[in-house]
Amino acid sequence: MVATAFSSLITMESEEAQIAAGLRRRDPDVLDALIEQYQHRLLRYLAHMTGNRATAEDLFQETWIRVLEKGHQYDGKSRFSTWLMTIAHNVAIDHLRKRNPASLDEMRDPEDAAPFEPVATGLSPFEHAAAAEDKVRIQAALEELPAIFREVLVLRFQEQMKLEEIAKLVGIPLATVKTRLYRGVMALRPTLGGGAL
Amino acid sequence: MSDNEHGRAIDLLTRRDVEGIADADAQWLEMHLQECEECTGFDRALSGTANAVRSVTVMASAGLVESTRARVHLRAEQLREQQARTMLVAISFCLGVLTSTLTAWVWWKCGAWVAERLGLPSGIVEPGVLLFWLLPAIAIALVMVIVPPAKFEGSILHRFLNDRMGGMQ
Repeated sequence: MVATAFSSLITMESEEAQIAAGLRRRDPDVLDALIEQYQHRLLRYLAHMTGNRATAEDLFQETWIRVLEKGHQYDGKSRFSTWLMTIAHNVAIDHLRKRNPASLDEMRDPEDAAPFEPVATGLSPFEHAAAAEDKVRIQAALEELPAIFREVLVLRFQEQMKLEEIAKLVGIPLATVKTRLYRGVMALRPTLGGGAL
Repeated sequence: MSDNEHGRAIDLLTRRDVEGIADADAQWLEMHLQECEECTGFDRALSGTANAVRSVTVMASAGLVESTRARVHLRAEQLREQQARTMLVAISFCLGVLTSTLTAWVWWKCGAWVAERLGLPSGIVEPGVLLFWLLPAIAIALVMVIVPPAKFEGSILHRFLNDRMGGMQ
């Protein structure tokens, strides 16, 4: 079991090293493969950050251009996904600063009202309708959260990132990550209705 | 129940699913949750939030992926051109410095000979020789800055550099 874990660690390390080497060479094949692999995760993160699909798509492209330009800075020692999300975070922050330097909460485009698509669950039509209604309500509450809380929730629960990784990515102390996570969860608590999801 | 215990329970609940917690901590947490309504509520809210966040799906369309790839390829090409041009400037600069340095002694002697023949003062001759000495490097730098990159397309050196950089990939 230890041998398996060690072997998977070596595999991961060599994979990250290969990505780093590919990025240093600006290898189009490596970039194509990375875009393919991380397309949904990256777009989902940016969509959560901006609350706007069209903006998220623009930032998606911008993120990959920045990955190409700054690829030589990736050393292959950390997870590529964490580095990618850091780039995406910075792209989103830059976008916000161009639009409005006031705060991260202003990232959401007010004209965008289209909710994200809920996952199909295979329930009966009635249960499906009820579940869909619940999800729309919860997603609306999630979108109402300030972006600084939403970002931490998304990185934690969708990206399964460690608290330390989130702190590094967002550039905030670990204690602030914990506070944002706690406050984000508590803000959603009334909508969750005691966690009956 | 103290604030410390609630704090510890919330910290453990927060870390439980991703980082994982020790068995002893898990046992303590289980006992604490049996007695503490507040932390049990947080546990439920945490699970509910995780489910809510995970239930949101955003899929990138094939069109978006294709256009991103096309933009990335185009930018990669531009960067390669830029890199080739920078290399061209650097090589030209080095050649200019090298030839200037190697011929410095010759030009200095020439300048002294001309000055002696014409009877010019050293205040004119020395800056003149220095300017003449730097002239090739200045001319190369001006050409590289003024002439647009497109003019270098297809030049032997440009093609050589492009081939080398293409070969490196």
